[in-house]
Amino acid sequence: MKKIVKLLYCVVVLLSLSACHEQEEFQNDPYGNFDALWTNVDEHYCFFKYKNVDWDEVGQRYRAKLRPGMSSTALFDVCAEMLKELKDGHTNLISAWDVSRYWIWEQYPKNYDERIINQYYLNFDYKRASSIKYAILNNNFGYMYYGDFTGAIGEGNLDVILAYLASSDGLIIDVRDNGGGYLTNVEKLVRRFITERLHAGAISHKTGPGHDDFSEPYNYYFEPIDDSRIKYLKPIVILTNRSSYSATNNFVSIMKNLPNVRVVGDTTGGGSGLPFTYDIPNGWSVRMSASEITDCNGVVTEFGVEPSPGCKVDMTESEMALGIDTILERAFVILEQMINQN
Amino acid sequence: MKKIIISLLACIVLCAVNSVSANEPLRSVLSAYMVDYGYASVLDTYLSPIKYKGANVRIGYERMCAMKFNPKRWVMQYEAGVDYAPAKNPAENHTIHTLMVDFKWGMMHRWNVSMVDGLRLYGGGSTQLRGGALYAPANSNNVVSVKAAWSLDLTGMAVYNLKLGKSPITFRYQATLPMIGVFYSPEYGESYYEMYVGNHSGLAHFGWVGNHFSINNLVTADIHLDKTIFRIGYRNVVETSWVNNLNTRIFRNSFVVGVCGEWLKLQPGAKVSEKARVISAMY
Repeated sequence: MKKIVKLLYCVVVLLSLSACHEQEEFQNDPYGNFDALWTNVDEHYCFFKYKNVDWDEVGQRYRAKLRPGMSSTALFDVCAEMLKELKDGHTNLISAWDVSRYWIWEQYPKNYDERIINQYYLNFDYKRASSIKYAILNNNFGYMYYGDFTGAIGEGNLDVILAYLASSDGLIIDVRDNGGGYLTNVEKLVRRFITERLHAGAISHKTGPGHDDFSEPYNYYFEPIDDSRIKYLKPIVILTNRSSYSATNNFVSIMKNLPNVRVVGDTTGGGSGLPFTYDIPNGWSVRMSASEITDCNGVVTEFGVEPSPGCKVDMTESEMALGIDTILERAFVILEQMINQN
Repeated sequence: MKKIIISLLACIVLCAVNSVSANEPLRSVLSAYMVDYGYASVLDTYLSPIKYKGANVRIGYERMCAMKFNPKRWVMQYEAGVDYAPAKNPAENHTIHTLMVDFKWGMMHRWNVSMVDGLRLYGGGSTQLRGGALYAPANSNNVVSVKAAWSLDLTGMAVYNLKLGKSPITFRYQATLPMIGVFYSPEYGESYYEMYVGNHSGLAHFGWVGNHFSINNLVTADIHLDKTIFRIGYRNVVETSWVNNLNTRIFRNSFVVGVCGEWLKLQPGAKVSEKARVISAMY
């Protein structure tokens, strides 16, 4: 009996140490929603230090703009302005009527016109497998356009595409206006252009709510596709603009380090943080960079990947009017140089 | 702590099987199919700092029978179930879908309480596997929170049999309390992509009531109508964890309805003597 009493005593003591942890709750009013938003970002955003943002100061400055009973739209505007201080394309406040954004590419030259490519370079004659448009151009360079990393690509699709392009002298991979998508598609694509294990980059994540609570960067690697599949190992040029964002930015940062690859065009849009989404009491969602990815050299590409040296090009209005894609034309020259060097 | 672990292991690992004797009593098997419907409250800060609430549905199966090695004193219990809860945030514009599966096997010692006719107490241990996922479709890279846990539990039960008119009714209260085990949790802001590319460190955690507290309370009334037994009841489940600065709190309160049957497992062609002694696990 004594043993049973002791056992029960132990159970009661253990229960008192239970894992039931209190969670801070915020009111569904302007101040409560603002504080919930600020706290979400404070605890999960991963680039405060990199961007030198004093989030406490930002919070105080914008909280002073709140008024009791202010309208939802007015509150949204204050919150949206506060989030823009992060200068982050992955940070959005999402309500039923608007999505706040800091889309840097909207301020830069567009540097891509699909019509020019289709009409003057492809003559409206191209193939399309899954999400990839491809053709061999008149100068015998292969051309692939991948406009969305959320678009499914199967290994079979890539086999068909690369088999068709195998006779080309060099390959242009156009990822302009590709706003990102699944990182698994980045791996799927990169594996076709490597012959040995590739150090793709490193990932670190928040380990707690503090601004310095980060895990050690974890190096990750891509393996080449097995030999039964088709690879492309000739010179490659990747075309980029400021709208090459997020997963596309990641793709470019990895491919740029391959010896047979050059990046031509404008700096990519960045977005190297993996976004997480949380919500606040009034039902709005906030999406933000929460886990940092660097390239294989440990460089944070949050503000974009620069073109290869000597490969920075913008499209000009005058040439566009003549149906010329300045960036693509530069890619032809660079591919020629790479082929001649080999 | 050491004594608790030893007690739990003793309950679960008991395997002193006696040889079969001719006078061996027959052990009836109680099977119950149950449907729970009620309310769930879900908080998982990997997905959201907001508490979500909604309906909860469970389909469950329970099986009990006396143990062969000492049928008068020991019973075995097996339970399995699937829970689904589509819970809404307070603004009711987002949903977290919770789907959990559980399997439990346990053994309990049975004591007849001589002071109260019809009352029996049970106590023992069990081991269970629980797993599933919370899915928040509105989220981005934290779209799902996977749950997996294995535990060693304490379990206790009180059973009271009485007759209401001609119908026997069996009341039962059972509580199951996981004490130690292993459970899965990502780090605070770790994405599944990071796990996908190979970082699996720190995902498995030693669990105890201080960081992974759960309890399952079940009250049932089994109403015997001829050969059919109807079950009504109430289930309360608390599942919490606090690890890697991530807070999980899932509460379920549900009404239970079910159908039970008690049957004998015999060799083909075997006949049951009128004098045969049948030992029921619960009735």
